[in-house]
Amino acid sequence: MADESGTSRGVLSAVLVTVAAIGGFIYTLAVGNEPLLGIDLQGGISVLYQPAEDAGEPTEEALDQAVDIIRNRVDAIGVAEPEIARQGSNISVSLPGVEDRERVLNLVGQTAELRFRPVLADLPSGVLPAECQSGEVTPPEEDENDAIVVLADTDGLRRYCLGTTLLTGTAVETASAGLGGQLVSAWQVLPVFKGGAEGIDLFNAAAAECFNATAVCPPTTSDNSGRGIGRLAIVLDGEVISAPAINAPSFGADQIVISGAFEEETANDLATALRFGSLPVQLEAQDTRTVSAAVGTDVLRAGVTAGLVGLGLVSIYLLAYYRLAGVVALLGLVFSGLLLWTIIAFIGETQGLALTLSGVVGLIVAIGVSADSNIVYFENVKDAYAEGRRVPTAVERAYESAISTIFKADFVSLIAAALLYFLTVGAVRGFALYLGLATILDLVISVAFMRPALAWIAGRPAVQEKPSLIGMPGGAS
Amino acid sequence: MSLFADLYNSRATIDFRPLWKHSLRVSLVVFVVSLILLFTRGLDLSVDFDGGGVFEAPVAEGIGVDEARDALGAVGLTDARVQAVTGENGESFVRVQTGVDDLDRRTEIVEVLAELGDGSTDDIVSETVGPTWGDEITRSARNALGVFFVIVSMYLAWRLEWRMAVGALVAVAHDLVITAGVYALFGFEVAPATVIALLTILGYSLYDTVVVYDKVLENTEPAPPPTSGRGKKAAPVAEAPAELVNRSMNQVVMRSINTTITTVIPVLSMLIIGSVFLGGVNLREFALALFIGLLLGTYSSLFVAAPVLVWLRNRYEIDHSEKELSAEDAALAEINRVSPLGKQRR
Repeated sequence: MADESGTSRGVLSAVLVTVAAIGGFIYTLAVGNEPLLGIDLQGGISVLYQPAEDAGEPTEEALDQAVDIIRNRVDAIGVAEPEIARQGSNISVSLPGVEDRERVLNLVGQTAELRFRPVLADLPSGVLPAECQSGEVTPPEEDENDAIVVLADTDGLRRYCLGTTLLTGTAVETASAGLGGQLVSAWQVLPVFKGGAEGIDLFNAAAAECFNATAVCPPTTSDNSGRGIGRLAIVLDGEVISAPAINAPSFGADQIVISGAFEEETANDLATALRFGSLPVQLEAQDTRTVSAAVGTDVLRAGVTAGLVGLGLVSIYLLAYYRLAGVVALLGLVFSGLLLWTIIAFIGETQGLALTLSGVVGLIVAIGVSADSNIVYFENVKDAYAEGRRVPTAVERAYESAISTIFKADFVSLIAAALLYFLTVGAVRGFALYLGLATILDLVISVAFMRPALAWIAGRPAVQEKPSLIGMPGGAS
Repeated sequence: MSLFADLYNSRATIDFRPLWKHSLRVSLVVFVVSLILLFTRGLDLSVDFDGGGVFEAPVAEGIGVDEARDALGAVGLTDARVQAVTGENGESFVRVQTGVDDLDRRTEIVEVLAELGDGSTDDIVSETVGPTWGDEITRSARNALGVFFVIVSMYLAWRLEWRMAVGALVAVAHDLVITAGVYALFGFEVAPATVIALLTILGYSLYDTVVVYDKVLENTEPAPPPTSGRGKKAAPVAEAPAELVNRSMNQVVMRSINTTITTVIPVLSMLIIGSVFLGGVNLREFALALFIGLLLGTYSSLFVAAPVLVWLRNRYEIDHSEKELSAEDAALAEINRVSPLGKQRR
């Protein structure tokens, strides 16, 4: 194995590793790839939505559609680099660096189903239909379009007994928000209905029922002349936004105004939700995290500092203990670090895969793993040398048993990383990904760099004369 | 010569054998105590596993636990756990932990907490986890652990030998249970970061054990042909397990110490930098579990895994027909035989 062709092949692979590591890093800098930071490292929101259990298994199509609608809603409020992805039947949403996080959370996840229902009675007064006798607010799972329900307004102060749904938000073409009303200082939402049978006709049919105070929409208030007229409640996701009296039998498609207890933001958000439609699945936020930018930056700084200090101290130790061989170890660590940076930046840029705190930790842990491989090799070299071999021979001889140990041990790490990646969820996955990546690089560096580089050093006349230069025990030669 | 010089020159002849009896006894006691602690005191699981919410909000000066509790009580939240936390620069925070039932009120809670500070919700860190998601996290972690144990023991049984697979798993179980026991004893919160730390410990503990066992295996294999130049260490096959393991351990002890030092250094820097200088609570919790576990891992590979292997090898003797020359060693023997360098010593 120590013949000429083997050595030159070794030198070639070491050069290749060097070129790949440095070239990759330069490429990364040149094209401006940067690691995509997770929410925990730069602040923002991450939410994991799961379809509501009682609604049954949602179809693939519905989930994809939900992702698109959420993306549109997020784009409408102008979040940079949002990440919205399906994970099985879950939908994960990461919004880095957003402000006013509570508002964004509400907008993104709301089902935004708009229903128009006639008011049958104001609770607790009046003659109540059987469904409304209890006066209890109908639970969401029983809040069906064809049911008579009791729903409260946004503040929960007023409750209404409401008839079956007459039309839904699908009749709405688009919507905007604006100031208006009698005082001109109230925020309103202005829906524009679709034309024809699927749109404004449905609304006008409902309006006619209420204006004429039929059985469908009984009189619950009166107009200026004292004639009883009905009211049409506008319900968003089970909350009554407003319940205006209907004082005309028909309207133009763009003449309808939803007024309620709106502020600028809530009005805008409702308009946004109406514009992009309701989600085809009911989503429940299962794992919601908000991190302030300050905390995120602190954590990132702590992680990076810890990593660099750790790397520095390990390097000093290796250099002190193994001298020139320590340089090989150090270069190996640096090269795998450069390669990792390139890979992380690349997948961040192309796959949108973010580096999270647990990923950083996986990487810091990997420093130790890489150092271990070097130590296993160097100690084997020392053993072989102590047995009476010359330095170059010891380096060759030790490689076989060392690499076998390194493979076995790294393989255990790889099994762990793969299992964790495929079997777990959340933070553990990020850790597994980067640990696995770093372990693979450790194998590559061990085979393609560590060995030829040490062999080259061992072949230098100075080292042959003075083996203690690569940390060999003094007395043995 | 000092012990260090002997170690450095790979000439150490420490007799580990008398230590094993004591170490096994101590380990067994600590292991059992840890198990008892785990069952009696239990682990303090974070909201990630049980579901619930955690909110951390900066508050104005003079606002403490009582004020925060009053404010939360005013909106009907009476059973939340409230703690006061001091940040790195002396600023005050309150940390509120709520149960699953209060998840729907997260907006309300955030607003109440914002009022205790400067009124803005932007600096509030929150985390709410629904109960089904918490279950999923717990279940997936448990599954991964189970599958890991099965596959790793199969792998080790294949690459090393089944006794070593058993020994390695005993050592790993020892490290995991005792680390978890420390968490139970001091009531540290177990978060997903802790689970990651435990899994890392698992990996390291195995790495260390594999290094020791691999050396034992190397020394166990039949002596290569006499021309191989393997020299004085080519052991007679009949060497008793205790001597064999002891000798192998002396050969790898410096390796174990060095690998431990180089892995502990980065973790220690996380522990110190994460907690002392930068106040990163996450990092600290994580690094603590790692630190305890790593030290245990080194200890267990030398003082638990090794004697267990000796015991197993004494109990179930090696059938030498099963120990054929492995392919790589056969190749190596061949190289040593034909290579002029192999013969030529010094």
